[in-house]
Amino acid sequence: MRTEAFPSVAITGTADLWCTYAAIRTLTWLGRLDDAPGRADSADYLRARRNADGGYAWSRGMPSDAWATFYCAASLAALGETLPDSDRTAAWVRGTWSDSSAGAAYAMMPGQAPDVWATHFSTRTAIELCGDDVPDRDRLLAWLAALQTADGGLSWSPEHGDADVRACYYGVAAWRALNTELPWDVPALVAWLRRQQVAGGGFRFGPDAQVPCLWATYRAVGALAMLGAAPAGDCVTWILGRLGDGGFTRWDGYPVADVWAAFSAVGALRDLGGVPHDVADAVVAALAGMACPGGGYTYREPELAADALRVAAGALSSAPDDPGLPRMRRWLEACQLPNEGGLMYMPGRGAEIRCTLWALAAGAFPDDGPSRQAIRDWLARLQNPDGGFGYWHGRGSDLVSTASAVEIARLLDGTVDTGRLAAFVRRCATDDGHGNVPGAPATLRAGLHAARVLGGPTPRVVAELLARHRVRGGGWANQGNRLPDLLSTYEAVATADRFGIPVEGVDAFLARTATPAGASWSPLDPGDSDPLAGCLHRLLRKRFVDPSCELPALTLS
Amino acid sequence: MTQLTDTEIVTRIRSVLGRTLGDAVDHLAQDADLAQALGERYDSLTAMECITAIEGEFDIEVDFVAHDVRHWFATVARMARFVGDRLEDRALLRSER
Repeated sequence: MRTEAFPSVAITGTADLWCTYAAIRTLTWLGRLDDAPGRADSADYLRARRNADGGYAWSRGMPSDAWATFYCAASLAALGETLPDSDRTAAWVRGTWSDSSAGAAYAMMPGQAPDVWATHFSTRTAIELCGDDVPDRDRLLAWLAALQTADGGLSWSPEHGDADVRACYYGVAAWRALNTELPWDVPALVAWLRRQQVAGGGFRFGPDAQVPCLWATYRAVGALAMLGAAPAGDCVTWILGRLGDGGFTRWDGYPVADVWAAFSAVGALRDLGGVPHDVADAVVAALAGMACPGGGYTYREPELAADALRVAAGALSSAPDDPGLPRMRRWLEACQLPNEGGLMYMPGRGAEIRCTLWALAAGAFPDDGPSRQAIRDWLARLQNPDGGFGYWHGRGSDLVSTASAVEIARLLDGTVDTGRLAAFVRRCATDDGHGNVPGAPATLRAGLHAARVLGGPTPRVVAELLARHRVRGGGWANQGNRLPDLLSTYEAVATADRFGIPVEGVDAFLARTATPAGASWSPLDPGDSDPLAGCLHRLLRKRFVDPSCELPALTLS
Repeated sequence: MTQLTDTEIVTRIRSVLGRTLGDAVDHLAQDADLAQALGERYDSLTAMECITAIEGEFDIEVDFVAHDVRHWFATVARMARFVGDRLEDRALLRSER
């Protein structure tokens, strides 16, 4: 297990939706929400994520998804705020209802296959937050019933087959929201959950997990409690042993107290008899130190809350002899934590596929055979039954993640099942290109991702796609050919290079998106020194100075 | 087409912006920075909607790379000058034919 402290990389954290939800939820459980700094600012932060379609997004301008919608709606409700136009939010949730051979359930975004993460979030958003109901209770119960595996646990979808305590919690919480009869062999499910408790008292995600952690412990304890059961052995002592001077930490040997460990510890302790007052005080003090000045929370003290994407962007932007480069790579390598071989966006959060790609492209693990193998193994487990990849384990497939997976395999000299990949890409095809998920409208970037995943379209097909989205004044647009943006332009050039298609005339676009602080995402974006935009802009400039320079095929959205 | 006066251009721009941004635009000074005055309500997505609406209103075309759209679409006064210049260019071109 990697246990070294994270080296300083001089990146200040900004508010994050998951962290904000975890902090608000924890304070609500403790009855200490009045102690939360900047409540009004946090509510504004959450409301700003609402899209016109009624769903909510991780950040402004991103498409709505079930996870962000639940976290925003639940956090607003906890803050005592009225959910704006909840009927529209309920309608967006209904639009993610998705058929499956085992019944029907919710997908993370319209068009995706249903998974238990999304089904948990959207069942609760519909029933508990919007006062709506699910479209078909019987079919949802059939789908939930089919999650149970032969060994008694619940999996991510009926097609997956590998049980995990997180999937158990989400499945059981969705059932609880339905307030109906249990669809599973409950003794088998309880027994499977109890078998995940290891010596010492903590729980692991599943039989293959290396070490117990607070997140797995909360999910297991929570699932057992909803089923009217409890852990077989003492768990409280292990949880309280995770409390240090700065708050709760997630694993043995891991030094950073974070918001998710606090959330998980408090959530589990509530189900195990209550949270001692001195523990509650320590958690409230720790969370206060994670609040961001403009509203919302990050995962630890903001001045130390770097994330893998921004650190990777810094490394990719650095000259090879930059003295800070080895430190940035060490920071990225420290984001490979127990139980999941991929790298985490924020340490302690959960391995994520785009962050893993950015970190490898930035030079993490150049000669570390075991760590590279751990990523290959993680990647093999991540491929969904439909052949595609999602952002993390068990999440529905999309082309952004699938293209990231292919590029990770390329950087690691690994392989992925190409026949299954092609099957998923075919499902994303439309009359005029490819959408990011099945049924989504065609965009330039989804078409580029499909081309890179398949590797097989002729350069003429890719050149025609590029020509359709080429903006007359310079650069490429993701939709149509009017407003060019930096990410689409970067991916257009990287893909054109990959297929040997000549590109030129990007100078005016690069000049227009250059800002004193770095770069803006588009000619309309104010450009507030986002290091990711600065990184892509710098790599593109370098590529046009030296055409032999190979652009890493980075993806974001 | 008769050349529009500056006042007429400003009035029509305010009307177009009002359809996207609501009546908050009515009370803004011509030189008020929309992003500062309206915050996230005038972000790049909304600005794109407004620019498209202004293109339709005056039958002009904005080039997002050649024109400094961040500058020209930051205030009502700058939008009016931008539109006036485009209309003047067009009138000049027509008179030369």
